[in-house]
Amino acid sequence: MTSPSRLPAPMGLLIDRDRPLHFEFDGTRYQGFAGDSIASALLGNGRWLLSRSFKYHRPRGPLSMAGQDANSLVQLPSEPNVLADMHPLQADLAVTGQNFSGSLTKDRDAFLGHFSRFMPVGFYYRSFYKPKGMWKVWEPLIRKKAGLGVLDLDFRPEYHDKAFLFTDVAVVGAGPAGLQAALSAAEGGARVLLIEQQPILGGALNWARFAIDDEPAHRLGQELCAAVESHPNIRILREATCNAWFSDHFLPVIQGNRLYKVRARECIVAAGAFDQPVVFRNNDLPGIMLTSAAQRLMKLYAVKPGQRALLLTGNDDGYLAALDLHEQGVEVAALVDMRAQPNDGSLLTALRSRGIACHLSSTVYEALHGKGMRHVSGAEVRRIQAQGQVADSGLRIDCDLLCMSAGYMPVYQLLCQAGATLSYRDEEAAFTLRGLPAGLEVAGSVNGRHLLDNVLRDGRRAAAAALSRLDLAQAGNSEAKDFLAEPRVNFDWPIFAHPKGKEFVDFDEDLQVRDIINATRHGYRDVQLVKRFSTVGMGPSQGRHSALPTARLVAQATGRSVSETGVTTARPPFVAEKLAHIAGRGFDPARQTPMHQRHLEAGAKMMPAGIWQRPAFYGPTEQRDACMQAEARHVREKVGLIDVSTLGGLDVRGPDAAELLNRLYTFAFLKQPVGRSRYALMTGEDGVVIDDGVCARFADNHFYVTATTSGVDRIYQQMLKWNAQWRLDVDITNVTAALAAVNLAGPDARKVLERLCSDVDLSPAGFPYLGVRLATVAGIPARLLRVGFVGELGYEIHVPARFGEALWDALMEAGKAFDIRPFGVETQRLLRLEKGHLIISQDTDGMTHPAEIDMGWAIARNKPFFVGKRSVQILEAQPLKRKLVGFSLAAEARKPLEGHLVLKGDDISGNVTSCEYSQTLGRIIGLAYCAADQATPGGQIPIRVEGGEVVLAEVVRLPFFDPDNTRQEL
Amino acid sequence: MKIMPCPLNGPRNISEFTYGGELKQMPDPASCSDAEWADYVFNSDNRAGVVTEWWMHTASSYWFLAERHTVSDQIIRTFDPKELFNRRIEFSAPATETPA
Amino acid sequence: MMTSLQASQCLERSPLYRRHAGATLGRLGDSLVVSRYGADDEHAQLQRCALIDLCNLPRVGFRGAAAADYLRERGYQLPDAPNRALTQSDGSQVARLSQNEYLLLGSLRDGGARIAAEERNWQFGASANYLLPRQDSHAWLRLTGEHACAVMAKLCGVDLRPAAFGTGAVAQTSAARINVIVINLGDEALPCLQILCDRASANYLWDALLDAMAEFDGRPAGIDALLQR
Repeated sequence: MTSPSRLPAPMGLLIDRDRPLHFEFDGTRYQGFAGDSIASALLGNGRWLLSRSFKYHRPRGPLSMAGQDANSLVQLPSEPNVLADMHPLQADLAVTGQNFSGSLTKDRDAFLGHFSRFMPVGFYYRSFYKPKGMWKVWEPLIRKKAGLGVLDLDFRPEYHDKAFLFTDVAVVGAGPAGLQAALSAAEGGARVLLIEQQPILGGALNWARFAIDDEPAHRLGQELCAAVESHPNIRILREATCNAWFSDHFLPVIQGNRLYKVRARECIVAAGAFDQPVVFRNNDLPGIMLTSAAQRLMKLYAVKPGQRALLLTGNDDGYLAALDLHEQGVEVAALVDMRAQPNDGSLLTALRSRGIACHLSSTVYEALHGKGMRHVSGAEVRRIQAQGQVADSGLRIDCDLLCMSAGYMPVYQLLCQAGATLSYRDEEAAFTLRGLPAGLEVAGSVNGRHLLDNVLRDGRRAAAAALSRLDLAQAGNSEAKDFLAEPRVNFDWPIFAHPKGKEFVDFDEDLQVRDIINATRHGYRDVQLVKRFSTVGMGPSQGRHSALPTARLVAQATGRSVSETGVTTARPPFVAEKLAHIAGRGFDPARQTPMHQRHLEAGAKMMPAGIWQRPAFYGPTEQRDACMQAEARHVREKVGLIDVSTLGGLDVRGPDAAELLNRLYTFAFLKQPVGRSRYALMTGEDGVVIDDGVCARFADNHFYVTATTSGVDRIYQQMLKWNAQWRLDVDITNVTAALAAVNLAGPDARKVLERLCSDVDLSPAGFPYLGVRLATVAGIPARLLRVGFVGELGYEIHVPARFGEALWDALMEAGKAFDIRPFGVETQRLLRLEKGHLIISQDTDGMTHPAEIDMGWAIARNKPFFVGKRSVQILEAQPLKRKLVGFSLAAEARKPLEGHLVLKGDDISGNVTSCEYSQTLGRIIGLAYCAADQATPGGQIPIRVEGGEVVLAEVVRLPFFDPDNTRQEL
Repeated sequence: MKIMPCPLNGPRNISEFTYGGELKQMPDPASCSDAEWADYVFNSDNRAGVVTEWWMHTASSYWFLAERHTVSDQIIRTFDPKELFNRRIEFSAPATETPA
Repeated sequence: MMTSLQASQCLERSPLYRRHAGATLGRLGDSLVVSRYGADDEHAQLQRCALIDLCNLPRVGFRGAAAADYLRERGYQLPDAPNRALTQSDGSQVARLSQNEYLLLGSLRDGGARIAAEERNWQFGASANYLLPRQDSHAWLRLTGEHACAVMAKLCGVDLRPAAFGTGAVAQTSAARINVIVINLGDEALPCLQILCDRASANYLWDALLDAMAEFDGRPAGIDALLQR
């Protein structure tokens, strides 16, 4: 085991040196500290090689130390593709590399790099798609070579959840701009939510250097953090990532296992800027990192990033970083500045006085390495002669750390998601964001402010703007003229093509300069098309480092400016998020009737009906058919009880109740007698059948209308919508859940009911078929409806839900003498099928109109209006294209299933909608659509069943059972 | 997530609402042509610009109308349908009635 | 001990009564209600985070052009705007859900007797005042304690913090993906949200709330502690 040595404090802000942690990487034990990331702990042990690249399997080490690159993706036991530079180190964590064959250090697939000229851009897609179908053969092999990590299929899901979080102002990023903005907004009276990815506040104040004398910035950072942390109006979310911006400032923020759904009235994005790499040969070797990454390593983790450093810079910050490295005992071999001179001349003096050589107007042309490419060993430095052109020879400098920074690109992702556009200013080689939506402010380096004074001022300005919109007005205290002039921070052409290539533009996808150029030569001039063709920016780092050089290369290759070319845009999420975060704690609503527990106690097999849970039948799953047939026989011969509480129920009351129903349903209701029910069929404006039920009239101005279980909510809403226009004097109430209901059905139903109900004449003459009554059943106020859905003497009993279970208990008790038993939905479906009754949306579809299902009788054509009337008229005038018919087959035939096709010659003429074996009839019976000329009873329809076999079913007249309906009218 | 200002319930997440289609004028079903009726039932204008739409706040089953710009998705105004529908609507009997 | 009380002896049953196993039960009109769970005093639980099943406490709705006059005549003070609620002098509460719809919630002080009488005595006549069977259509839960709005933030997209949703505020919204009516009728001493949801979804929401309450050490409680405040 190796033991780490770290830089002395105050380096290492994040680590706790008193809490060493042991962990394992690729089988070797290492030691790190609490507060380390996996990557910092490994680098602290001198372990740089963390991964192999996606395409060529080149060795890679950390690039950004900020979770912005794919180089540090590693495998945890139960989680692939973990960012090693962000994931906190835990005791005994077993980490492995990914995307290699054999071992990470000796990858058998590293030879692929030598074939790179045979694997040009678009290689996979262009090479493996022909002949047709070949991609299916190649894909698994390629995916294996290019795979990223392994899933643990035994993984046990963890608890993830979501929570809304409401705030006046959300501030994204707790660097100097974000801290200042949060503080100013809070001082102005707003409630502020501050979102920071790191475990500590401060952002760049923690790791960057703002001046030769760093003390004032350091002190300022401490003061700001203390003020923010102690302010009662500020809530801080640390180690939290704002992963997107959605309309009206809705921000998904991931913290641990929770996804916060932040709703802010105002939003200030102070997300900072991405340090940009320089494109030169072998710029991907381990040991080459962004300058900011080296600073983060030292200041956050006390890791000495190398013994001998070379810095390549396009702005003054590289000089300040050189001072940092020098002060921490790293020998700085040289600073290479791509510019002719720094903005601040004193920096040159400062470096030279410390013996650090400065090469101006120069660049690293090629990074050098030993065998195996496991670490950078030096660099060839050459003078820049023109844009991207270097001198023929140069200087070789040995180093084990190469820090590079070409400039900064704003962290534009959230802002582009909010609709802003990145516009490039060619003269400053920098981006600005335009077109931000109302209520969204940017502050700090994301807004092009880099001088600390300006950054703080910008934070105050953004807060003031937000406060004034929140009516917590503050005099605008920062005008544009108040800002100091910003020196240029971006070098405009940090790209140095090499004849031997391997100057990586996109590290994730192993794309080199020529890959981008070649894409344009294939005719892809648009930067979006270049992205899709070459996959640049499509890897895990999503163009954070590749977007700008790609735009520059495309601009150059197509003879345009970068401002004309533009850059690819960004969509959510900002960083990869787990499906578990999106799913959260799953909410899966389920509705239960008041009798639910009774069904379970009776051994019901439950099934979903919409979001309701209903008994399918009572008994073990494997005895479905037997249970169902026994229950059906019981209803036909004795008496059964089914819970129909899920049936939709609407109370329609008021002087216009009948008029409303007359307009909504196809039948006539104005003259319907009180105490009677009537079938109710509803069509949409297009004439399609959308629902049915029973209209029971309990009073002149009170109808109780039933609707299908799955349709009632929609029907209720449509009724309200229609009456918002018609303005009829009527009240519509959805009483579906308020009424529990059962259907007591079978020859003995009356005898059972008589035991519990004495205030209504239950005799056939006193309470005939289709009659409705208000009654008391077992002491419970009830609505009684004589119905015939299952084709037997039957009473639907509807009672207030609070009494539902008591009603059930009373009926089961009273029915004991008659051997009552409960029956389920599947049994009911069989019973109604025997009667040829349709179930809307099972036996009808989105095209069914009344004539197709022989419902012409249910239409009152003399009414002035009903919804769909005109369409029904038009449809009825046209020849019938198909018809729903009853069919039957011998018991031993292969049973068709719902959805099986009805054929006519080689064509499909319809489909089976319901089918079941009927023990009562001793045959298979069903309903199916077929062509109009196949619909004559006595004819045959071919049905293609499971396995492709065709059975010939006989078309029969409906109903199958009790054609004279004598049983239900008893 | 977008916020919809409901005339009854105030500003709410758009997920609390159900879309009810564009506001359309129904032609007189007793006298219009088949083509006019079909156009009313099946066609939408799909206009780029401000459209008036039906929306319902699902939890309170409250229908209202919203003026929305289909390009910017900006909701310009929401209002109670009483503003437009302020009297009882009658349907006249068809001109030529056939006996049942 | 009234150990013999069982919900199945009553005609009226809460959809949640099986969740009360082991609790001490008391009578509430023709039904039962949880007095307390276990032997401990539940005041501290109430203050922290508690969920109470009030499904058997009477409630009723009235809607229509004549509803407001009808209720005023019967001595109710009505909120002057939709989505507001008022506590009456007897402890009953009236929430206004739209221009002409009212929800009446019974008081524990009289076991909801006054509101139960309103439901019993209403006559369907010529005037536009329609009774809505809220006791049967809706389950009624009460969520109490200092964490009540933090619990709801895990389920509901409306800002229910006191600053945005003060006493008397009503929200008809969605929680845990079902429709709910949330009413803040708490006070300084005890934050408290009334939650009404589809009665058929009562068990679902009960579980969802207890799950959301777990991180705050929230538990079900009975009405004794509420009554003795």
